[in-house]
Amino acid sequence: MAMDVSFSKIEGRSLPYYLTVAVLAGFAVAGFIATLVMHAHGLYLSGMTNRVPWGLQISMAIFYIGLSAGSLVVSGLYGVFGKMEYKPFARIAAYLAMLFLIAGLLSIFTDQGRIDRVFTKPFTYVNATSMFSINPALYSGHIMICVLYLWALFKEKGTLTKITSLVVVLWAIGTHTGTGAIFAFVPRELYNSSLLPPSFVAAALSSGAALMILVIVSLFRATGRHLDHDLIIWMGRRLLSIFLLVTLYVLLIENAHRVYLAADHEAGMFFLFGGSHSFLFWVGLITIGCVIPAILLFIRRTGTSVPWTVFASVLVVLGVLCERFLIVIPGLIHPPELFPGWEVADVVFREGVVSYSISYLEILQTLGVIGVIGFMFVVGLKIMPLAPNEARVLPAR
Amino acid sequence: MLAGASGALSLPVLTSCTAETASADSVLTGKRWGMVIDLTRCREGCTACMDACRQENNVAFHGDARWDVHWIRRASLKPKDEDSGLSEKSVLLMCNHCDNPPCAQVCPVQATYKREDGIVVVDHHRCIGCRYCMIACPYNARFFNFKENEDWPNQDYPKRSHGVVEACNFCAHLLDQGLRPACVEACQNAGAGALVFGDLNDRTSEVSQLVAGGFVKRIREDWGTKPKVYYIGL
Repeated sequence: MAMDVSFSKIEGRSLPYYLTVAVLAGFAVAGFIATLVMHAHGLYLSGMTNRVPWGLQISMAIFYIGLSAGSLVVSGLYGVFGKMEYKPFARIAAYLAMLFLIAGLLSIFTDQGRIDRVFTKPFTYVNATSMFSINPALYSGHIMICVLYLWALFKEKGTLTKITSLVVVLWAIGTHTGTGAIFAFVPRELYNSSLLPPSFVAAALSSGAALMILVIVSLFRATGRHLDHDLIIWMGRRLLSIFLLVTLYVLLIENAHRVYLAADHEAGMFFLFGGSHSFLFWVGLITIGCVIPAILLFIRRTGTSVPWTVFASVLVVLGVLCERFLIVIPGLIHPPELFPGWEVADVVFREGVVSYSISYLEILQTLGVIGVIGFMFVVGLKIMPLAPNEARVLPAR
Repeated sequence: MLAGASGALSLPVLTSCTAETASADSVLTGKRWGMVIDLTRCREGCTACMDACRQENNVAFHGDARWDVHWIRRASLKPKDEDSGLSEKSVLLMCNHCDNPPCAQVCPVQATYKREDGIVVVDHHRCIGCRYCMIACPYNARFFNFKENEDWPNQDYPKRSHGVVEACNFCAHLLDQGLRPACVEACQNAGAGALVFGDLNDRTSEVSQLVAGGFVKRIREDWGTKPKVYYIGL
């Protein structure tokens, strides 16, 4: 079942294009300066403290890494399940996956206390039991496989494309599982959960599929190319909706387990009903991020409309952003139960529940990372034939 | 390390011995340092150990609870059940020098590791400041240098740059000179004698005797971290 798909570079000479490039470049510069300032003076300029040593940067890192699952979705459709009509999106998916993994690594990199040591020490003193040693290898490997996949797609190498698209799927599952394991494999009440890696994969698939829908629709619209709506509708109704249900299911089990067991009951109740993060959970993640988009996709009238599918995808991406924040922060602001039956009160250190607020420099750093990969994306579209000229449903055989 | 059957008593060399008695690592040095904190002798308002630690190890104090570093700190415990009849008490918290340290397990550059004598240390020249060890430590005993430390009271001992993690190291530099940790010395001089330090492998040492006496507890033994800091009166 061969299908010729032609690709071309975008023209990229319009005023909006140059404005986009300029704004993204500005973000990148702002992020670079913010990082320099932070590391000259110390990370106290972030909102992080000795009780909340990870903040926005790590939350965003795992968000980006989850978004890279878009390549997994498209590769899976095209390379593994042989749905040839999704081949037009394979190049963009592979390129975006690479960019999001770079964004993840960049966020982690700029969050280190001693950036100057990051390019030497992790290579000379590997610790095979650390998820922070294993994951950078998974991410770098993932980037390299994406590059190979992209090259095979550019050169139209049939067999290599098949092989790399399958490898990308398997490797991506490893990448997302490993990212979940950063948190799941440490002894903290709200982290330590063997369901966290699979729930990370489920949310990654949801956000990855949603992002692919957003990128494809906006790219085709911006360049005035033909896109068969059925391709988007199918991704929304047959993929995104299922991923959302799986995500909801895993979240339900994970939280029910926490609240049910006496040992974790207090921490579970804190997570679900204990502060502003609970609002983020119920409203941001569950309602806006999962339930509403799932309903929109399942109802025939909205599920078969591209604008509604796009709207649902936006909600999913925002919901998963909340989910990533909820993985990192509540487990830190909630104190470990050192003395069961006793409440630990402050004398010199903050022992109880603390809070975390994001500083403006952290926001600039985040904008910087978005600027870098956004710049690489729009410029990539101009210098490489990434965008398909059209995407059509295959004629019935 | 975690050599073999836990049922073995402390006697036999031919059979394996437990991590509780002597670990394979410590056979090389013969030492396995540990501490007993006797809360019944610890005086609530006293800050001798904390001051001495700060002085000896150049531990940063900025006057802001968000970024201050504490190698040893005081906290107070209030019973959650007010009708329990239990009264509020004071406790000292510090690095527990676990035999199974989660911090060392997760350090991506092996900057945090357990020495052969059981002390968990941070190599400040190798730490990249990722703070994963702080996430992994269930005792919140690790601290990050968010800010440059302006004070340098003990010029014989290095201070740390901003951007690295640190925690109590049982004053390893003093132990290497045959001296006791600064906090233990200070507590003794203050007349309290609440901190008892010594070799857990030496069955005649005071710490071993106290541990063997059976009136000691460790924080959350159920976590399996096997701390080498024991408490009396917890």
